[in-house]
Amino acid sequence: MNKNLKIIGKSTPKLDGKERVTGSAVYGHDIDLPNMLHGMILRTKYPCANIISIDTSAAKALEGVACVITAADVDVNMIGYKRDHPILKSNTVNCNRDEIAAVAATSKEIARKALSLIKVEYEVKQGVYDPFEALLEASPTLNERGKGLEQFGNKNMAESFHYEHGDLEAQKARSKVIVTKRYETSRVTHCCLGTSNITASYSKLDGSLTLWASTQVPFLYQRDIAHALKMDASKIRVLQPIIGGGFGSKLDMHPFEPICALLSIQTGKPVQILYDREEEFLASPTRQPMVIDLTTGADAEGRFTFREVKIVLDNGAYTSWGATTPFVMMQTYSSLYQVPACWFQADAVYTNNPFAGSFRGYGNPQATFSIETNIDLMAKELGIGKDEIRLINANYKGEITGQGLHFKTCGAQPALEKVIAESAYKEKINRGDTGRYRRGIGLASMLHVGGGAKIYRSDGCGTRLKLDHYGYLTIITGSNEIGQGSETILAMIAVEELGIPMDKIKVINTDTDVKPWDVGVHASRTSFVAGNSMLGAVKLIKEKLSKEAMKLLSIDAADFDYKDGSMFSSEKEIKIDKVVREMHFGSNELCQVEYFYEPPSSFQDKRFMGDVSGNYAFASQAIEVEVDTVTGNVKVMDVWVSQDVGRVLNPVGLQGQMEGGIATGIGFALTEEMIYAEGKLINPSFHGYKLLTSMDMPTVHFFPIETYDEAGPYGSKGAGEAPLIPTAAAIANAVADAIGVEFFSLPISAEKVLKALATVKENQLV
Amino acid sequence: MDFDVISPKTREALLEAMDACQDKKYRFGAGYTDLINDLNANPQEDLTVINLAQLQDDVFSNITEDDSGLHIGALVTAAQVLENEYVQTHFPVLWEAANSVASMQIRQTATLAGNICQASPSGDMSCALVALNAVCDIINTRDEMRIEPLANFFRGVKKTSLAKYEILRSIFIPKNIQYNIKSGYVKIGTRVSMEIAILSVAYHLQVDEKNIIAAAGIAIGAVAPTIKYTQTACEFLIGRSLYEIKDVVLENFSSQVLNYATPISDVRASAWYRTTVLENVTKIIFD
Ligand SMILES: Cc1cc2nc3c(=O)[nH]c(=O)nc-3n(C[C@H](O)[C@H](O)[C@H](O)COP(=O)(O)OP(=O)(O)OC[C@H]3O[C@@H](n4cnc5c(N)ncnc54)[C@H](O)[C@@H]3O)c2cc1C
Repeated sequence: MNKNLKIIGKSTPKLDGKERVTGSAVYGHDIDLPNMLHGMILRTKYPCANIISIDTSAAKALEGVACVITAADVDVNMIGYKRDHPILKSNTVNCNRDEIAAVAATSKEIARKALSLIKVEYEVKQGVYDPFEALLEASPTLNERGKGLEQFGNKNMAESFHYEHGDLEAQKARSKVIVTKRYETSRVTHCCLGTSNITASYSKLDGSLTLWASTQVPFLYQRDIAHALKMDASKIRVLQPIIGGGFGSKLDMHPFEPICALLSIQTGKPVQILYDREEEFLASPTRQPMVIDLTTGADAEGRFTFREVKIVLDNGAYTSWGATTPFVMMQTYSSLYQVPACWFQADAVYTNNPFAGSFRGYGNPQATFSIETNIDLMAKELGIGKDEIRLINANYKGEITGQGLHFKTCGAQPALEKVIAESAYKEKINRGDTGRYRRGIGLASMLHVGGGAKIYRSDGCGTRLKLDHYGYLTIITGSNEIGQGSETILAMIAVEELGIPMDKIKVINTDTDVKPWDVGVHASRTSFVAGNSMLGAVKLIKEKLSKEAMKLLSIDAADFDYKDGSMFSSEKEIKIDKVVREMHFGSNELCQVEYFYEPPSSFQDKRFMGDVSGNYAFASQAIEVEVDTVTGNVKVMDVWVSQDVGRVLNPVGLQGQMEGGIATGIGFALTEEMIYAEGKLINPSFHGYKLLTSMDMPTVHFFPIETYDEAGPYGSKGAGEAPLIPTAAAIANAVADAIGVEFFSLPISAEKVLKALATVKENQLV
Repeated sequence: MDFDVISPKTREALLEAMDACQDKKYRFGAGYTDLINDLNANPQEDLTVINLAQLQDDVFSNITEDDSGLHIGALVTAAQVLENEYVQTHFPVLWEAANSVASMQIRQTATLAGNICQASPSGDMSCALVALNAVCDIINTRDEMRIEPLANFFRGVKKTSLAKYEILRSIFIPKNIQYNIKSGYVKIGTRVSMEIAILSVAYHLQVDEKNIIAAAGIAIGAVAPTIKYTQTACEFLIGRSLYEIKDVVLENFSSQVLNYATPISDVRASAWYRTTVLENVTKIIFD
């Protein structure tokens, strides 16, 4: 495992870095096909209403309009994780995103004008925007397709998860402290700099459909489009242009995508739909807002005894992958630190709010915020150090948790120790500043899957390698690049193993007609799964190469070294391109191999027990903040993050993941919030939605922990989601340390801080 | 967005263009950082934009100082204001305000007149200029000039005293009467950059050798439909020692400033927040 590595572990620029920074990268927005039409979608005026009539005649009559479609014009299936979502809405509209009609026209201006000519008559209804209200008997049925009553005993329940382990009552009885709190997290969104986009081109000649789509899961997407449009999946070719940000937002297929395909099918011409920023805020996915009622206990020594949690997720009007975030959250409640007993219930409830989706961290930032805040409260009550209580309970190597997660390697304790030491946590905590600016420090840890997550039938990834007779290697991988840098990792593996220089390596990963199966980019899985798949393929191509090389060098047995485009055995050297030439033109054989890797993880049983991932990532963050008591603003000064990444593959890429994740985590903690009034988004712009900028970023001190987990390529673990998961929790704890007030709802806005300070002052005066 | 563009190169051509547009809908365009947003939000048909970006005219384009003070042309950008040494030394409030506008990219094109004529209650440079008792130099299609104190120029959100046949040509800031100044701009917002003020306070105090306040200009932004010059608060300070402004005096000063604030609640902050922070800020500027 610790052999001397040539490039793995050394900072390597991203393969597409030059294109990205010079502006030559081709995004979906740059695609321009001959005779292409521009599609636009008419969305509802009211979040909750009956549709009395739709009149598209004036729009159809407008010159330059190629077609106008409504639900009445198309024969399609329901979409969404629960198939409860019509692509175009006909009888009712149920949230402020709802699509009523779509047009395709020769220009965007004409398309926009056509939308304004469509007359829709509504009968406005009172919507239900609070999930707790939706659960009441008296509430109307919010999604007619929902199966809540049969499945979960409440008509407005979209999805429900229950998990438990251990003897809850016994653990409660032996607890010295029990802390109960309600936590609330807000609705935030991905803010991809590249807005949603799709170009669809249907051929009337052979019924094939080509989609240039920014999906994270091309093969699931192909299947979803096929189901939506009642087509053969293999008639659909998905091409992924360079993607301007994913972060989970492109896990679900959204209505605008089959709508664009329908416009192309109807007109027989290519059609493109591009969102502007406002539509992006309005109609792209969000993180689930949650209300989390958490009770936790610890014994007199500070050992955790149990966690009992009830979560209500605002599912919105339809069900997306986001409804399955409890699947990840239960791992955190059951297994982040040692937890003898856990009782977990999470219900996703229909409302007339927009539906959420998946978002980096997948429920884990919300879960971790609640757990890590409660830990501080327990420590306070017990009079134990907030660092100490975490160390006492830290996960350990060899642990099999109550849920059955098996930590074959575990950097939890070293990560905690590292950030405690590096941040000088012990000296800084409880400083008790009293002036205008008050500093505080907070600690939080996290646990996340590091080796994929077995939820779909296969969590695998295919790789094909093609070595040409000029010595160039083409890696055809099933996996996807959405900016996270995994294709660079694959190229680095090729450099490492085959000694082929970086500039002779190409990665092909954007075409479902060409690439082998992969389930998609999510769950921090790509470098792990695709990397292992790559290593499997490398092994096969090495076998091929050595067989031919031995023949050419007339030796019987050899263990070749691969360096600088050549193969070496004792004193003998032969160039790889020569070997391939001889293979092609001498032995009449191609130098190509393919390999399919399926991680060693297992499905969980009906009770959600099982070792769901190939390995697990652990991280801790210590964050120092400064609260301005004049304005209530919280400034993040420094972030110390230590993460068990198994092994560092590309340091610069990893640092990028840390900084990006932390930026999102800080926004989630302090400033970002989609604000709704009666189901209508009132801040659909960067003016009103406070995404932070590079100027707001603190220094990120990153200390990787290398545990060399044998399941991962070179011992590595997934790392992409982790950096944002503990951030909000650590910040909340830091703010509490600074001003002595705890916050149980996010974001911890300047206004909330100022209100809290004002209340403290009042109480002191009384 | 579709409009006709006229790009006058000289003052004469500009006035002619304005004259020719009197019966039409027209807007000036300088750096376009506000105008394009405006037109996106409220598309207009048959609009003409008189583009000022190619105008060659010293009064419009330069910063000049004379015995009485500083003249800043309408087309001077925030970036140019930041480079100016006179501003740096004598009007820190304006420098800080210009430095707080958006981002470096926007500051390269955002002009002073654009900031003023947009008449936004949260215009940063505008707020600083009100505190500095700046005066507008306005000309009309007949090349006649009129002057008006900037504080009076603002008539409401996006409303100014400019008539259709007028254009703002430059801004005059009277010279400081004292050598010692205490001058700065406090902008409250969520982000460090790319932020529109939730509220702002511009202060420019001039003190004599004995630290007695000889002149005071205090303006507040984003807490009323227009930027407010807090006249009585300013008068209250004159003649007082800088070090005397604490406790009761400070409370008194603070409430004088607050008298000018009629904040609203919007997505970015509540009226309560604006009032509370305004009060807090008035109490720290003398620290
Ligand atoms: C992303 C972004 C961030 C921003 N952040 C800030 C900020 O932090 N602080 C801030 O104060 N502003 C901010 N703004 C607003 C804007 O940048 C400033 O107000 C800027 O100074 C406007 O100048 P301009 O030259 O771009 O004006 P333009 O957009 O060209 O014009 C603005 C208005 O003034 C009129 N006008 C221009 N010149 C004249 C003239 N000589 N006579 C009469 N009327 C005239 C125009 O017709 C128009 O109505 C921001 C804008 C953007 C897009």
